[in-house]
Order: sequence, then structure tokens, then C-alpha cells
Amino acid sequence: MNWSPKSLDLGVKLSQENMCVYNKWYYALPNLKIWDSSLLIQKNFAPIHWLRPLVSGDFVMDIFKTGLKDNIEYLTGLSSSWTKIISKLIKHGPINSYKNLKKYPWLITFIKIHKLLHNFTKGRYGLYRQANTKVISVVVSQLLELLDGIRFHEDRLILHEDLVPSEIFRAMGLYPWMVEMMGILMPMVDSHSMEKYIDIAENEGIPPDICSLPKGVIGMAIEGSFPNALAVITSNSPCDGGMSSYTIIERKMKIPVYRLDVPYNFYNKRAVNYFANELKKMINWLEENTPGKMDWDLLKEICEQRNKMKEYELELWEMIRTRPAPLAGEPVYLSHLWAYNVYPGTKENTELFKTLSEIAKKNYEIKKGAIPNEKYRAVLWNPPLLHFIDFFSWAEQKYGVSLIIDSMSYNNQPFIDTSSPETMLNDLASNIMQGPMARHTRGPAKNYLDDIFHIYKHFDLDMVWVAGHIGCKNTAALNGILREKCREAGIPLLVINYDLSDPRVETHDGIKKQVDQFMENIMKVKINEPLR
Amino acid sequence: MNTNIFDEIYKEPGHFLIDEAVSKQKIPIGYTCSYVPEVMLKVGNLFPVRLRAPGVSDTEIADIYLSSVICSYTRSILEFAMDDQYDFLGGIIFTASCDHLRRLYDNLIYLMTDNFYHILDIGNIISKDSKLWLIDELKIFANKISDNFQIEINDDVLAEAISSHNKMLGILQSIGDLRKNPKPPLSGTDFHKLIIAAFCSPQEEIMPHILNFKENLQNSNSKKDYKARIMLVGGQIDDPDYIDLIESTGALVVADRFCTGSLPGLELISEEKKPYDAICENIFNKTMCPRMINDFYKRLNNILAIVEEYKVDGVIVENIKFCDIWGIDTSQLLLELRKRDIPVLRLEREYRLTGEGQLSTRVQAFLESITKN
Repeated sequence: MNWSPKSLDLGVKLSQENMCVYNKWYYALPNLKIWDSSLLIQKNFAPIHWLRPLVSGDFVMDIFKTGLKDNIEYLTGLSSSWTKIISKLIKHGPINSYKNLKKYPWLITFIKIHKLLHNFTKGRYGLYRQANTKVISVVVSQLLELLDGIRFHEDRLILHEDLVPSEIFRAMGLYPWMVEMMGILMPMVDSHSMEKYIDIAENEGIPPDICSLPKGVIGMAIEGSFPNALAVITSNSPCDGGMSSYTIIERKMKIPVYRLDVPYNFYNKRAVNYFANELKKMINWLEENTPGKMDWDLLKEICEQRNKMKEYELELWEMIRTRPAPLAGEPVYLSHLWAYNVYPGTKENTELFKTLSEIAKKNYEIKKGAIPNEKYRAVLWNPPLLHFIDFFSWAEQKYGVSLIIDSMSYNNQPFIDTSSPETMLNDLASNIMQGPMARHTRGPAKNYLDDIFHIYKHFDLDMVWVAGHIGCKNTAALNGILREKCREAGIPLLVINYDLSDPRVETHDGIKKQVDQFMENIMKVKINEPLR
Repeated sequence: MNTNIFDEIYKEPGHFLIDEAVSKQKIPIGYTCSYVPEVMLKVGNLFPVRLRAPGVSDTEIADIYLSSVICSYTRSILEFAMDDQYDFLGGIIFTASCDHLRRLYDNLIYLMTDNFYHILDIGNIISKDSKLWLIDELKIFANKISDNFQIEINDDVLAEAISSHNKMLGILQSIGDLRKNPKPPLSGTDFHKLIIAAFCSPQEEIMPHILNFKENLQNSNSKKDYKARIMLVGGQIDDPDYIDLIESTGALVVADRFCTGSLPGLELISEEKKPYDAICENIFNKTMCPRMINDFYKRLNNILAIVEEYKVDGVIVENIKFCDIWGIDTSQLLLELRKRDIPVLRLEREYRLTGEGQLSTRVQAFLESITKN
């Protein structure tokens, strides 16, 4: 291998013996004592997985590769996350913390949330690193707030499906906990964290071809891993597997479940009225069955905050249309996923998008890209590769591919009209029906295909990458049409075959090979060409 | 029981009775799901034909578009459509029942643009509002049929269609009820051939054969012997050979609680209510599909009631591989039935009949376990 890390300008001769593969990254390793000792530490502390990023060669190499400012950025982010986590543990008290960890073993995964910081910052420098650190900081902070809901507000806790508007619960003084959040966030932190729950579900008789996200959720329900709650609110979105999983959640948890019905034909006023009425009925049901009472002024506040956040996001989206993109990857898509689906309408999230927009502006004004050598711009269609969340960090470094936007974050939703309760409910209804994923998975193929081609053009992209999750029947059934249409339009298309939450179906190496083959055969990139 | 005429019908997607009707200027309209109100396709010169793909051997072309991880029923339909086997149809009606059927619709309108298509949006819960929504959908559907085929559809036309449809349903029901007898005069296979023929043929042309079948049954002394009375529960089963294979082991399928079966598929449409209201109610009552996400216990109780009524010894729960809703639902049905000491066997299958040896062995073993106890 001819490539060597930029900062390792030590005049060290590289030999084949010094080549080492760690954590699926290829590094040329000089014969440095610090590397040897870090390997030793790693070997001895292997069971303590949460220490791994700190003692790994990865981390050590990163220190050498990055400048002082970037290291300070990383360490500040790390210490901030850890301070927040430790403060919470102290706040809950050692005995309660222990009890919580015993009752909810998945909390251990969330304690390792700082690993996200590692995954999102490695190989990223300057303002791009700063943006990633900011996103993680907000995610950690708000996740801990949500966890407080489980600990201190069981009497007001509502479990909800990912496409149900949690703004409404918060406006009713209830504490929402998204059921799928664990299935989404956990494999981001620890690739293998959902395997246990997937296996539990399959042993219960759930067919293995069901999407691994609802399977993981079912597994958690069977194991009793959900927090005690007053009720579950779900809907018929985004897909058959998702909606059906709640039958099992209902049976295992034995708490009331309320279901929303989202129309298939949702483009017209009739559909908006229907679903807004569904939301109204849900509010009435919650008022009758929980201590929650709707505070329309509070909902207005939340929605207006959401609108402000949207304004900053639109600024950001406008800037990332340019080449090179001033920001990309997680600051664009993960921020959206979190801020719109999990915890919408908070001042903190508005500040986050304001900061991201400002960071982007700094790069934009000097025509600097988030990544130093942006060669290709891509959209990721379908949910991000949860268990391989540093996938785009890898793609950036190997091929100079910038993930400009993804299907989960791009939506052309109206702002929420906060003039009255009716307008707010209508617009929240529209937002759900016409936003991802419902729009793409429940709705007609036109939504899926038109949006891809619109985004390709609007964001000046070079290729479309489809995260071809094997459990997603909805989207698998459109790949044939998509291939033909991309061929007609001359758009390079990569469909990555993998499983959303289960790395055993296709490993990270396997995913990378698929990308390598695409880049080599379709994009005509020479694989061993050094990028920088 | 002589089912020769029905044998001819179920083995082809388009058959001689359809040809006969077409020669009389009638128009066959295909449909894919039990949630489609087939009675609304019995207006003017239209007649409904439940879409099947009998004898499909592989789905090579369909797999390219729909992928191989989609329900094989939808892939088989697409395969047949691309092989021009549905050229005799004047159109195809869908419901947004499940992901797979929605995508079949999407692929069909992309690949075969010259047909008349419509997709009905039916809610996933039953409520006052979802019923009103459905009634609106039915009116939109009626207008579309009206415009496309130049047929006037009003309350009187629908009332007449309902009355005629109920006549057929009533006769089929009366034949089905014979299976409650301790020694039924017909097998599950024969009954299924009858049902398939009824729902894949123009009513006017098939009715004489159905009446003839019923008369022969009444005059016949035939009684079926069996080792165990079985209820078959599941989704789309439209191949009587599947049931025949189950019955070849000594089982007798006395209750067909699946999408293309009679329970509750033959429920009559009310002639007292306004036609759209009645049709709407019937749509929700005549199908027990797990797509209705708040109805698990209703489906379970329905199964338990049928077990009682038909003196069922064991239940076979089947689903087509890759079907999410049935796949998840059957796992829970199994638990509930076992809790109540009802012998139950779960079978996952492809749309076309495959693995006959394995299937036969499993059913045999199941029967042995029932008879032993």
C-alpha cells in the first residue's frame, strides 16, 4: 500500500510487517512505541468495549493526524458528553442508577454515546468536525433529558411510534419516548447492540425477513425492555412491518394503544382533514386516558420554534447546493432526523441549526468544502446505515464522496401555520403524511421517484446511493423501476445490499466492497489512487 | 363430487366462461384483494375476476422489478401480466391493502400503461371516520368506472348488483354450511374449487354450474372420511391443489378462514341500508386481514368461534413468505391458540405449490399429534 496518513511525516519506512487492519480501516503503521502500547492496552481491556475508542489505535492515529485545534474540539466534545452523562448518574444517585441499568440493560449502550462522537469526527477536521461535535452534543444532552422522562415522569410517559408527532404530547404536558429510537440510536453507537433483540424476536416466531427495526423493537418488548408508560400511540406508517409490530407491543406491555390512520391518497384537502381529525381524536383520547391536557399556546410555541429551526435548515440546504458543499454528512441528516423526529421544536435544536448554518456560511463564503477534496456528491436514499454510521466518513476519505442530503431529512413540508389549533393540526398532519418516510413508503411510487430526481438536480449531485435494506420490501420493490429511470437519465446508481440494524447480514467490509465495485466499475475510479 | 367444470376454470387465469361472457360484450375486470368490493364490478356489462396466476413456474422478470423479497403472489401476478396473460381484462382494481400490493400497482402502471387501473384507499382501522372515508372512496371509484366504461351507477344500479351478488353468496354459503356436518358430503378441495370458480367467472355464466353442483351434492350420498377436521387460516390461497395436498394426508379442511375462502368471505351485503353504506360495512366485515391493525382479538375470536362451530380438531395457519402482516400476526395467533390447547401448525409457503413432500410430511405429523391426543 502506497498511501500513508498525511500527518505521519516522520520519515519512517513503511514495511508490509507494519501494516495492520484495525476496525476496518486500513492504516500504514509506523513502528511507533505508542501504537504498540495502545494495542497492548486494547488487547488487555478488550471486554471493556466502551473504552475501545479511547485506547484504540484508531484514536491514537487520529490524534497524530489532526491538528491541535481539532484535537481540542474532539476532547471538549468528549468531556462535555461525559460530564453530562456523569451528572445524570449523580443526579439519579448510585443506587437508582444501578437499578435503572439493571431494569433497562440497553442503557449501557447509551452510556457509550460518546462513541458517536468518535465515529463522526474521525477523518473530519476544522469546521466540519466542529459541526459534528455540535450535533452529538445536542443529541447527548437531549437524550439524557428524554431518559429523565423514563426515570422521573413514568406517570406521564407516552411511548410513540416514530412518525407520530411528539410535539402534541409535549404540548399536553406528557413525556414522549419514541419506541424506535432505541432501535435507531443503539446500532449507531454499537453495531451489534440490536442483535440480541432481533434474535429474541425471531425465536418468538417473527419471520427473519421482517425489517430488523421492528424486529428489534419486538425483541425489546418481549424482553420487557420498554419503560413503564401510560399508553402507546402508533399509526399505520411507515410500513407493514412497522405497524404490525405494535400488535406485539400491545400484547406484551398490556397498556392501552391508540392508533392513527394515515391515508394513502394524501395530496388533497380531504386527506389533510381526515388525518387532522385523527390527531384531534388522539388528543381527546389522551385527555380522557392520561393526565395530559392540551395547551394550545404551548403547541404554538413548539411549532413556532420548529418553524425557526426550519428557516435555518433551509439556509443550510441552500448553501449545500454549491460545490464544494460547506457542510455534509451527519450535520445535515442526523441533525434533521433528531430534531424533527425525536425532539422537534426546542430552542436548543433551533440553536443547533443556527450554529450549523453559521458554520456552513464560514465555509461557503470562502468556497471551502466540508471535506478537503470533494470529488463526488451523493444522496443517500432510505434510512442511514445504522450499524455502520461512519460509512460516509469512510466514503469521504476514500473517494471524496460528500453525502449532501438523504431521504429522511429532505422534505418539502410547509411551515406550521400557528394561527389556530385547526391550522396547526392541519399542518402537522400534512407534515406527517407528506414527509419522509410515510411519503415514500406508504405513498405511491411517484413520491419516491420524483423526489430522488428532484433532489439529484436541486442539489447538483453526481450519484444516487440507495441503502437497499433487505427488510424494506417497499423500497426493494421499486429498485427495478429506479434502475431503469436512472439509466435513462444517465444517473449513476448504487444499491447497497445490507440490513438496517443487523451487521451479520452484510458486514461493513461487504458494504465497502459494494461501494468499491461501484466506484471502480461505474465511476471509473482507480481503487488504489491516493485521495490526498 | 364432480368438479370437472371447476377444474377447467381454476387452472387458467382466463377460461372458457370468460370467453363466453366476452363474446357477449361483457368486460372482465381483474382485482387483487378481498377488500375490493367486487359487487361494484357487477354493474353494467362488467364482471369481476379475482386475479390469480395458476401454474406460474417462476417469476424471473417480475423479480427484476419487484425484487425477490416481495410476496410471491404479487410477483406471480406481475409475471403473468408481463407475459400478456391478462390481456383479456378491461382493467385491474387494487386496494392499498399492503406494501406488496401497493408496489404491484406501482410496477404495473409503470410497465403496462394501457390498462384501466384504480387503487382504493381503505383505512387500516375501523372507525366511524374511516367508514365515511371509505364511502367517499367508493363514490370516487364508481365515478371512475362510470367515466371509463360509460356505465351509469346510482343507488338503484348498486342495489340490483347487491341483490344479485347476495343470491350467489347465499348459495355458496349454504353449500359451505354442509361442512359443519360430522361427515360432510364434500372435501375442502372441492369447496375451494367451487369458490375460486365463483369469484373468477362471470356470475351469469357460472351460476348454472354452481346450482348443478349443489343439486348433485344434495342427491349424493357421498360422505367424507377423515382423520381430523382442519381449519385453514391465512392470506391468499387460490390453488385448490394446496388444500388437496393437505387432505391427501387424511385431513379434511372443513373451514376456510383465509382471504379467498368463505369465512367470513361470503357474508351477505345488507339490502336494508343505503348501497354505499352497506358495501362499506361489508368490506370491513367480509375480510379478516391483519392489515386492520386494531383487530387482532377480533380475528382471534373469529377463529375460536369457527373452531367451535365447525368442530375443528386442529388449525393450520399459513402465510406466504415475505408477508409482513401475516408473518407477524401468525406468530401471535399461534401463541394464543396453543394457550387454549388448540392444536396448531404453522406453515410458511410460496404462492405456487412447492415442497409438496415436506408439506405432506409436516401435515401428517400434525395429524398424528392431533389423533394421538
